[in-house]
Amino acid sequence: MNEKAKIRLIIEVKKSLKEIMDDFSDVPEEMGYFYERFRAFFEETPNNGKKVIATMCIHVPVELIYAVGAIPLRVCSGARSMAEIGEEFFPAKACPLIKSTFGALYLNIFPMAAAPAMIINPTTCDHKKKIGEMAEDIDSCFYTLELPPTKETEEARFYWHMVVKKLAKELERVTGQRLTRKKLKAAIGIVSLAQAQLRRLYNIRKGNPVIWGNNAILVANAYFFDDIANWTDRLSRLNDELEDRARRNQYVVGQEAPRILLAGSPSIFPNMTLPVMIEQMGGIVVAEEFCSSSRSLYDMVAVDEWSLYDMIPAIADRYLKPGICPCFTPNIDRKRRLLNIAGDFCIDGVIYNSFAGCQLYQMESRHVEKILEQNGIPMLYLETDYTSDNTGQLTTRLQAFMELLQDQKS
Amino acid sequence: MKKIRAFINNSNISKFRFYFQIAAFVLFVYGGYFYVTISEKLPTFACPFNKGSGGTCYLMPLQHQLHMTWSRFIGPGGIHLLKGFLVFACFGLVFSKAWCGYLCPLGTIQDWITKLRKVLHIRFSKYGETTFKGLKKIKYILLFLLIIIPLGVSNSLLWLPKFSHDIFPPFCKICPGRIVLPLFTGDTSQIYIDFSTKTAMTMTALGMIVTGIFFTGSFFKKRFFCLFCPMSALLYIFSKVAILRLNKNVAKCTRCGNCYRVCDVGIKEIADDVINKNIVKDDCMLCLKCVEACPEEGCLEVSFFNIPVFMSTETGFFKRYCLRNEIK
Repeated sequence: MNEKAKIRLIIEVKKSLKEIMDDFSDVPEEMGYFYERFRAFFEETPNNGKKVIATMCIHVPVELIYAVGAIPLRVCSGARSMAEIGEEFFPAKACPLIKSTFGALYLNIFPMAAAPAMIINPTTCDHKKKIGEMAEDIDSCFYTLELPPTKETEEARFYWHMVVKKLAKELERVTGQRLTRKKLKAAIGIVSLAQAQLRRLYNIRKGNPVIWGNNAILVANAYFFDDIANWTDRLSRLNDELEDRARRNQYVVGQEAPRILLAGSPSIFPNMTLPVMIEQMGGIVVAEEFCSSSRSLYDMVAVDEWSLYDMIPAIADRYLKPGICPCFTPNIDRKRRLLNIAGDFCIDGVIYNSFAGCQLYQMESRHVEKILEQNGIPMLYLETDYTSDNTGQLTTRLQAFMELLQDQKS
Repeated sequence: MKKIRAFINNSNISKFRFYFQIAAFVLFVYGGYFYVTISEKLPTFACPFNKGSGGTCYLMPLQHQLHMTWSRFIGPGGIHLLKGFLVFACFGLVFSKAWCGYLCPLGTIQDWITKLRKVLHIRFSKYGETTFKGLKKIKYILLFLLIIIPLGVSNSLLWLPKFSHDIFPPFCKICPGRIVLPLFTGDTSQIYIDFSTKTAMTMTALGMIVTGIFFTGSFFKKRFFCLFCPMSALLYIFSKVAILRLNKNVAKCTRCGNCYRVCDVGIKEIADDVINKNIVKDDCMLCLKCVEACPEEGCLEVSFFNIPVFMSTETGFFKRYCLRNEIK
């Protein structure tokens, strides 16, 4: 079964990548590196004997993983073939992202052919909470990271500080390396350099479009599994090229293209249907409110005293306080953030995608729509999963929305 | 102009503050030797018991001016009090709480103690939110007492007997500034307990105890004494209308809490408040570390006469917090 599933996955990856490479012209040269990373998605990469720690969410403090000399690997999966495997373990209406991720874990199929020493699973949504109890079905060592249900109170904050401290201890145990002040400071530095480049890419995307949205999503996706120093370096080169393009007014689409903000459930490679469709229909995705891209690296760590005593809580805060995952209640910050992005990126319309089965995103959609409406921003609500069953209906609805936006613009 | 603005926004204001505080310390502790006397109504702890003071603290004249019978309030005494307060208000209206963060010698000493603790790699102490809120109220109680006791010395309050004159001036008696600041000019005469009467003994002993608490407290908690400072409470009156302001562009706030993290006096509202524009709270000392720690472009901004003089920027944040520890 393993081999067969793997072949199907490889076909899926190739197909998705080919669609992006064939359908979109005038891509920056530096995108070549990122395409290549995805082409070699399952090829084994040397990691100098470093242990790999798998993460299942953006609420895992990766700085701690780097500080104990290990490599974080985000295993959230966008593969349909893996979702089909996962279906065996979940109720019919469960979230495809979870099904797919669990399917891959069950078959031990990881990006870069890695073999994680530990899988860190934060208790965000109900699916993630229950997945911890299914650990007996998989080989790897599962670690549940207890994320509080709210982030507003000091109690939640201190609880989270303790949880993160416990994780630091566990990471020391698994890797056999001690967490020191110097190493953690260096880790914060390495991650912040990556963050600086990602923020730079977002600033570039605030202007006239010089990069396709699906390309930008791919770049952010590559951060899941790429070596962080390489990724940062390559993104910096890409940013240079994009800035150069902006100076030469070399845009990928004209001014008339509606500027779209993609919000909600994340598009994770190879599930790139939505951004690709939007851009095939003449729109341009200029911003995403995805835990797979903008949200994963945006918020910064600020340390007051460079001692472990203050650094670990500082890192913990960065993974809790600015969080806008719908698993938090209340979650006013998400609406505020969406409005802020809409303003900064001159958004013409918001496409809100929710995976079938993700009740949290579904339930928040009504509030978000109301607030966006009050601010004169049209929103289209979509419910998708990893299958291509409802592509026809999706196309019709997207086309109608795009036409509406184009009419509004002209 | 743009370049100057970018330079200021990306600068390290904490470093600037460190040197500025030293200069202010020299001025307020040794200025008197150079015949500098700025005013006797300064909203900062430049202690009149220190012979070298280049200007003195307003709390001393305030207590003296309140030390009079009711009848004198309607007359020259009242006018005197009002005039004094107006001078004090002028200082407060211009620099607001920056008096605490940039100019107060007692605050500067606490910052130095913190620096010492950092060098020794000793941890700071943490408080729960409720303890913290309780502690913060003490400064209002102290302010109330320093107003009511001088009145009670010259008048009978609620038909009680008048307080003994030995209690006067009540706040100066317990203020650590009276004992600590003269030490910098080699004057140890304030270290004493007066055994002449019961009241005098209590007050001077309290002063010694508070000084002890001042040193230990500020060693483990940044700006510990400022939580109890009645001057801070008094200055808070002006912070809403002062010329120097700290503004928050609430729409841009991601509530990441960085500002709250680095805040020496633990003001939570700076991160959580997304309604009010003027964000100066009663404990704030306008040290502007929050502005430095904010990675959002223009979210926190300091303005003088409504002209922005310093604001948070993405570049500034990376310069101050991240790129300096670039490894390899």
